[in-house]
Amino acid sequence: MTEHFSRRDFLKLASVGAATSAILTGCGPASRYVTREPYIQMPEYTYNGQSTHYATTCRECAAGCGLVVRTMQGRALKVEGNKNHPVNLGKTCVRGQATLHGLYNPDRVQEPAKQSKRGSRDYSNLDWDAAIGVVAEALKNTKPSEMAFLMGMAPDHLFDLVSDLAKAIGAPAPIRFGARGMFEARATLSKATEVLFGQAAMPFFDMSKADLTFSFGANFLETWISPVAFTRGFANMRRGGGHGRGTLVHFESRMSQTASKADMWIPIKPGTEGLVALAIGRIAAEARGGVMPAAFADVGVEAAAKASGVHAEKLDELGKLFASAGAALAIPGGAALGHSNGLETAEAVLALNALVGGLGRAGGMYLTPLAPMQAEYHRPANLKEMAAFVEKLKGGEVKTLFIHGVNPVFELPKSLGFENALKSVPTVISFATFPDETAVQADYVFPDHHSLESWGYQRVAAGSAQSALSGAQPTVSPYYNTRATADVFLAAAALAGGKAAEALSFKDEVEFIQSKIVALVGESDGFFSAPEINTFTAYFQQYGGWWKTVDELSTPSGDALGKAIQVAEAKFAGEGEFYFHPFVSPVLAEAGANKPWLQEVPDPTTTVMWSSWVEIHPETAHELGVDNDDIVLITSEAGAVEAVVYKYPAIRPDTIAMPFGQGHTAYGRYAEGRGANPADLFGEQVNGAGDLAFAGMRVKVEKTGKTYPLSRLESRMGVYGEALGEEH
Amino acid sequence: MTTELKISEISANFAEGEQGKWGMAIDMDICTGCQACVAACAMENNVPFVGEADSGYGRSMHWIRTERFWEGEFPEIKMTPYQPVLCQQCGHAPCEPVCPAFATVHSQAEALNLQVYNRCVGTRYCANNCPYQVRSFNWRDYERPEPLPNQLNPDVTVRRRGVMEKCTFCIQRIHRAEDVAKSEGREVADGEFAPACAQACPADAIVFGRIDDPESAVSKMARGARGFHLLEELGTLPAVTYLKGG
Amino acid sequence: MASTATHHDHEQDHIAHLREKHLMLDPLPRGRMNEMVMESMHDTSWKFWVVFGILSVIVAVFLFGAWGYMIANGLGVAGVNRPSYWGIFLVNTVFWIGISHAGTFISAILRVFKAEFRRPFTRAAELMTTFGLVQAGFSIFMHMGRVWLSYWLMPIPNQRGLWPNFHSPLSWDLLAITTYLLSSTMYLFLPLIPDLAMARDRTPDGTWQKTFYRVLALGFRGTEGEWTHLRHAMNIFAFAIIPVMFSVHTIVSWDCAAATRPGWNSTIFGPYFVVGALHSGMGAVAMVLAVVQSRMKHMKYFIRGEHFDALGMLMLLVSMTWAYFFFNDYMVQWYGGDKWTQQLLHFHEAGPLGWMWFAMLIFNVAIPWATLWNKKWRSNPWLLFGVGLLINFGMWFERYIIIPISLTINRMPFTWRMYTPGVEIYLGIGTVAFFILLYMGASRLIPLIPVWEVQEGQMAHSLKKYGRETVVTISELE
Repeated sequence: MTEHFSRRDFLKLASVGAATSAILTGCGPASRYVTREPYIQMPEYTYNGQSTHYATTCRECAAGCGLVVRTMQGRALKVEGNKNHPVNLGKTCVRGQATLHGLYNPDRVQEPAKQSKRGSRDYSNLDWDAAIGVVAEALKNTKPSEMAFLMGMAPDHLFDLVSDLAKAIGAPAPIRFGARGMFEARATLSKATEVLFGQAAMPFFDMSKADLTFSFGANFLETWISPVAFTRGFANMRRGGGHGRGTLVHFESRMSQTASKADMWIPIKPGTEGLVALAIGRIAAEARGGVMPAAFADVGVEAAAKASGVHAEKLDELGKLFASAGAALAIPGGAALGHSNGLETAEAVLALNALVGGLGRAGGMYLTPLAPMQAEYHRPANLKEMAAFVEKLKGGEVKTLFIHGVNPVFELPKSLGFENALKSVPTVISFATFPDETAVQADYVFPDHHSLESWGYQRVAAGSAQSALSGAQPTVSPYYNTRATADVFLAAAALAGGKAAEALSFKDEVEFIQSKIVALVGESDGFFSAPEINTFTAYFQQYGGWWKTVDELSTPSGDALGKAIQVAEAKFAGEGEFYFHPFVSPVLAEAGANKPWLQEVPDPTTTVMWSSWVEIHPETAHELGVDNDDIVLITSEAGAVEAVVYKYPAIRPDTIAMPFGQGHTAYGRYAEGRGANPADLFGEQVNGAGDLAFAGMRVKVEKTGKTYPLSRLESRMGVYGEALGEEH
Repeated sequence: MTTELKISEISANFAEGEQGKWGMAIDMDICTGCQACVAACAMENNVPFVGEADSGYGRSMHWIRTERFWEGEFPEIKMTPYQPVLCQQCGHAPCEPVCPAFATVHSQAEALNLQVYNRCVGTRYCANNCPYQVRSFNWRDYERPEPLPNQLNPDVTVRRRGVMEKCTFCIQRIHRAEDVAKSEGREVADGEFAPACAQACPADAIVFGRIDDPESAVSKMARGARGFHLLEELGTLPAVTYLKGG
Repeated sequence: MASTATHHDHEQDHIAHLREKHLMLDPLPRGRMNEMVMESMHDTSWKFWVVFGILSVIVAVFLFGAWGYMIANGLGVAGVNRPSYWGIFLVNTVFWIGISHAGTFISAILRVFKAEFRRPFTRAAELMTTFGLVQAGFSIFMHMGRVWLSYWLMPIPNQRGLWPNFHSPLSWDLLAITTYLLSSTMYLFLPLIPDLAMARDRTPDGTWQKTFYRVLALGFRGTEGEWTHLRHAMNIFAFAIIPVMFSVHTIVSWDCAAATRPGWNSTIFGPYFVVGALHSGMGAVAMVLAVVQSRMKHMKYFIRGEHFDALGMLMLLVSMTWAYFFFNDYMVQWYGGDKWTQQLLHFHEAGPLGWMWFAMLIFNVAIPWATLWNKKWRSNPWLLFGVGLLINFGMWFERYIIIPISLTINRMPFTWRMYTPGVEIYLGIGTVAFFILLYMGASRLIPLIPVWEVQEGQMAHSLKKYGRETVVTISELE
């Protein structure tokens, strides 16, 4: 220490730093850009042995939870929730926690590279100037109408940038897609809202204050839409946010993690959720007295009981329960909507809320406020649109395809033939951070930074009662020779010149972001306010985004009960004897398989680690002559996969279930060659809103004679009594 | 100055019925089994992953695991409420007296069961004698390919092969909070910090704090009618209270 | 006269018969006997070296090679897991300590009670004690996660004030086993001194064996004073080592009995373990004697049917005692009604390794009871060898049931898991090979028969005629 700055002073300063470093960005208004330098030259706000915390946004799914990342000396150490963030209030889910295993994953794409032949994995590294040259050439030499941008599900700054670019040069608007949106049936939800209330929006379910929740297939405690927000709502309901301990009733053919927390699990026959919702509506309407609403007037309770396998007495009990509860809530989602009658099912379930006066009532249903800087709700693409897009690719109408933030080769139904369709596209440029299946089928991989190394913002589409824009900033300097895709597009546009350069005349990504969020400067009812953009940006970074302090939930309007809701019988594709029930793996979701610690986290209901499985009822397994760890061949109309049997005691004997998330053929050492992908079985049947009827399938199950030991945390002896001897 | 070796001071004091200082209450009615605590714990405490074969052979290193059982037959089957099981930080811990090397000791300052990694010689007696089976042994040196080690928490020792480990109630966070409070001349406030599991828990089913303070949130929760201790009949005086699930 | 002659012939036959049957009544000149013992050490066929070589390779690869591999890679290469944190390592430890028990038991207890049939085979039994304990030591050190720090378990004063925990049964174990190893080694050595001196006097000058014997014989010349001191020391040791022997296996049993596990915290475990140790140890003595008698020169003279007969009776007695303790342990645990213990007892018989439980009872109880009651059968060395082998398997199974199988069942059913041995199988085979190797090596260097004790016995025994009967008389020497 120098004579001017003693060790004692240093320690004093350090302890003050420790005491005040709840959230420290280190970025005042003057330091707009984080300099990305090795930590040999340590930033002046960093002390040895003291952590620096950065607020950013979780990108493991599209929910947009706020994170605070603990870093020390330039390394990200721990992901924690941002307590101020309206979506997650300081909490994180299992995938958010494991983000770091994506950041420091040994299998990330480390350099921009050109692949000698698609699928060969023979890469020659490029430098970034050459890479930007490739993008610029593509922007310049491809007819705008023959360009396509395929993006991830999150409505983020890059989507805005690419949208602006596409608009400026006259290219088709970028497509947002993600398998989670497909399984969540987001298009169905907004369509049903539109049909019933005349406004396409993301419904907001106020479970916190509900006394009773009927969930029709919505696996909201797992991965559905905004699981952290829903888990908080569920916990508050259980704690008695309404008037006492709230009750959860869940309708699903398999006991999912969400169903396992329900006070009552109704193992309903797949595809009959809508009928049951209508029957409950009718019984509830009768119990409440008054005029029978048109929506439920034509419903036959007996027929619904017969179709669904739920006893009429049980339906009666449920209907009366729903009618008599103080604040009753009905949520449609998941596999219930993944049927040919999914849209009508969603309508029927949402109508239940209208029936009991739940619209705009505490513990009922609202419409989620739009995010800042958003004119109307913008949903991700549904499967129908994706199928049309694939057709376009196959027809050779696309010459250059840019892919970012999504892995369609893995996530889309195999029968759609996306991988094949790529063959008709002369140039495919992937911006993947991981060598996923789609990147392996691309000509170029120009890796984006990992989300914890990136700038950005993301509109919060669900889970928050406040209008919220989640902010992202680099928490560490980029570990590899990667570059922000936004920066690549900006540089390439400048190089390409013309309209592209005009539209994107920003120095870099940060300037682009500021050009957008400047609209919020001066907004009064925000979490913070600032008079000018630089100060605003600093706060935006420090707090991890900007959101209103008041709830802006709107009450759905329109006469939802005014006309009859017709739920047709669900159509099942295929001939097999079993209903097929795919669900998103609660731990891995669609993109977690590359993270070793997520692989080692046991599945909540089966406790399986490092693999995927097919759930078969023990009696069914006995009839099929298969046992635990036997491999069976599952054949649908569209394809076949082999999967390992898990004898699951809480599934309908006529149904088999399989998690989505494993079965990668690329995506790094921890993901590759593990388990099977149920998307290989999916056909193209869609529901009324264009979402995939992924649960509307019948499959055949055959024994293969092969076995594979599943790695389970649970003891088969202790939990199932296997190998303990006959009597007890 | 003379230094004296007082052997009696370092011999463990196995007082019956020692009252805990830090404690935890876990509401099983609210726990959704989401496993966020499991991942959070692993990330905070440098817990290694062991791979498919070892994890399926009872060698996973989880410091916290979620247990669940089944009751009844389809369709009347019920899953028992998820129960996160971690070191119960017993006041009268069976693991402590059996360690021949004093690697498993009761700390007087925090009233926790400590595992002294660099003193452990790996007899595994403590794990045998732990009725909750919450100790994990480093059967191997587990591989963390570069650059994964960048994520390691410098506040927590990375354990090598042959060493026992277990939940510490995130003692590094306890110490940090105490240091900060001390530098500000005050006591640690209730809820000022939480172990990684409680911090991550999206349902807030895990509550952490001082159980020797009757006014703390955790004490109030633990006093409730639904509270019980795991394997209470053994008299281990756990610092973790479970709240019965519905 | 004819009748007198007949009577005389009959008398001669009777005496010849007694001489043939009883070593003590069949004296040979001392010089001849010493020569015989020396020859038994030196008469080494090529077959011996072939077996010796094979065993050396097994020890090098299975014991030291595999152990080194395990030290380098961690215990993951073995089969131990949660909840069976202790596997075959501890099974072998208890097994080898058990083997070591019979040596001391036969030597010390029989010496104290002046059982004359003990004389020719005390040495063979004592060697088993020492060599068995060596294997037990290997087994327990192999089991440690960080064996290179095992000295931390010793109470060595050090600057950091670190001290072992004397609350831990493992610390008791360490002290008990170390005490037992030291005392049994000394107890082996004391009666060996006169024989070493004998060997020294019969070994040519200039050989390394001469040096070996000269150093170890401590200058013993056979003076009256030396004999007096030796007898005095042996007497003290014979009495003192008996409680040590009983305590050591009792303390080993406390590793289990002092724990909070179902099936382990049983009050009968101390004596149950001691008797179990004797059971396997007696079987092992029988096996060793059968091999020694058939494979070593002149040994048919020293070891006779009477010895196998006596050993067989002891084995039967121990088998009965073991069966009683087993029954007692089972009854008390079953009657206790603890649900986890009930589950465990059921698992022992009906679990995947239930055959082991039944094999244990058949080998330890049914087979000894069915064979050893017959004097003719139990005098047969190879039959006794077979029974001893089965008892040893049975007792190994017993320890396997108590350790890894019982550890499978605990109070958290979510963690129950079977144990599948890995590299510890090879390590176990390595300890067996090492035991045999040490024994074979010792048989070339150390007189396996305590010659002076046999001679002492033969001097004390005589045939005297009282009236018309020839009877055996024994004079008190000490």
